[in-house]
Amino acid sequence: MQFRDFSLLVRDTKVRGFAEGLERGELRASRCVGCGAVHFPPRSDCPTCWSGEFTWEPITGTGRLITYTLIKVPPRHFAPDLTQRAPFSTYVYAPTAVGLVEMEDGLRVMGWVCGVAAQNLHVGMALTPKPEVLDDGRATIVLKSEGC
Amino acid sequence: MARVGVVGIGHSRFGIREDASLRELAFEAVRSCINDADVPLSDVQSMVVAIASDELSYALQPSAQVGDYIGFHPKPSFRAEAACASGSMAVRAGWMNIASGLADLVLVVGAEKMTEASTPDVTEVLGRAGDFLWEHPFGMTFPGYYAMIARAHMAKYGTTEEQLAAVAVKNHKYGALNPNAHMRKEITLEKAMSSFVVADPLKLFDCCLVSDGAAAILLASEAVAKKLRPDPVWLSGLGLGTGSLALAHREDLTSLEATVEAAGQAYRMAGIGPEDVDVAVVHDCFTIAEIVAYEDLGFCPRGEGGPLVEHGETCIGGRIPVNVDGGLKSKGHPVGATGVAMAVEIVKQLRGQAEEGRQVPQADVGLSHNVGGNGQHTAVHIFTRA
Ligand SMILES: [Zn+2]
Repeated sequence: MQFRDFSLLVRDTKVRGFAEGLERGELRASRCVGCGAVHFPPRSDCPTCWSGEFTWEPITGTGRLITYTLIKVPPRHFAPDLTQRAPFSTYVYAPTAVGLVEMEDGLRVMGWVCGVAAQNLHVGMALTPKPEVLDDGRATIVLKSEGC
Repeated sequence: MARVGVVGIGHSRFGIREDASLRELAFEAVRSCINDADVPLSDVQSMVVAIASDELSYALQPSAQVGDYIGFHPKPSFRAEAACASGSMAVRAGWMNIASGLADLVLVVGAEKMTEASTPDVTEVLGRAGDFLWEHPFGMTFPGYYAMIARAHMAKYGTTEEQLAAVAVKNHKYGALNPNAHMRKEITLEKAMSSFVVADPLKLFDCCLVSDGAAAILLASEAVAKKLRPDPVWLSGLGLGTGSLALAHREDLTSLEATVEAAGQAYRMAGIGPEDVDVAVVHDCFTIAEIVAYEDLGFCPRGEGGPLVEHGETCIGGRIPVNVDGGLKSKGHPVGATGVAMAVEIVKQLRGQAEEGRQVPQADVGLSHNVGGNGQHTAVHIFTRA
């Protein structure tokens, strides 16, 4: 069973600029031109005012970890026999914790946790979401602890 | 409002059914349903079929396989889908079929053949029930989503991994008594606690089984139901709620908004409250899901789901017996079949026909709770004898 690489899906959306930004080191939300609502993950269409216009808004600062997991049984696209590597995911199944941080403005960002072993994570700890370019040139989102 | 009754129930054996195709599994359930109702299929006017996944069945319109094999054509039939809650969508569509006056005898069938696909493939397809664009890329799987819910619940309320394991121990205890269950064996708390980690903090025994199977019920209008049998069970309350695609967009990660919405609708429609429920089947795709369901359904206050199961209050003899058929955990979870199988179980309980050791005494009001994905759809149905 083959599935399309998710990155291709992002590139085939109206928010394809997100993936391009990530590769340049920018983590961005969308801001609705109509009502100013900020959305993450970014979206081209506003469900509040129905505007289809948006601008990019950088996500900066440190968030608070609200939950996390360490997935040991991977889905198909993380299986070792994967041939097509995904741009903002790790390409092999290597147990890295995944976390969800909440920023001060309430935006929530999912990413790979960097610099803290899973057993040392706790809800409420400070982590900073950042783009990260992997060895293969593809970009992902990581949640960095201090000193990472 | 016109009432809709359940006049027949049927259930295949759940498990790794390498011996049977999708259509043959459905046939097993339909045959036992038709036999139970003692009504010829020719009297049935319409059918709704739940099969969750085109990917798992490798086919579009898999419901046509069912209709053809039971010999239903040319009568009306269509498929209902909401991932793991597909079965309850079919029950709901069956109810609507009758309440609208379109038909007064409707067959509802749920079926799934999952074990032909590899575990990574099933994990992939199910994981994509969530936000495949923005969360699935981080390897988020079904267990991963519920692991995040568990971690948040543990942080907020102090829920423990032992309490999660207690759900598995309870459900396996009852599943062992259910001849249709996939895994008919009891497990110990130690065994559950020492099983390998699937998505931390969820271990193997926190996860439901990947199963093949089918279930069917026959629904009838009030007049027809009363003619067909002296003891129809009434589908008295229906609720359907929806929740965000992305887990990140849940205001409270420890609750499913869709369940709260669906439960409110169902209780109002049936004119009852959670305290009136004598027996419940809830969607324990993962042990944490059962604990969250207790709270969202109002069986206990927020944060007390862990202690509720730990103190045996959801066993027979406790405050509210839950999943005494083994649940998805031990009975198995052929996704499309599950919602229909839940209806079968509640009807069985209300008729007093459950197997020895797992019959809830004097059960007059039963509730089923069926979640699609990780809370994108939830159906709550209330069944009554009166
Ligand atoms: Zn707007």
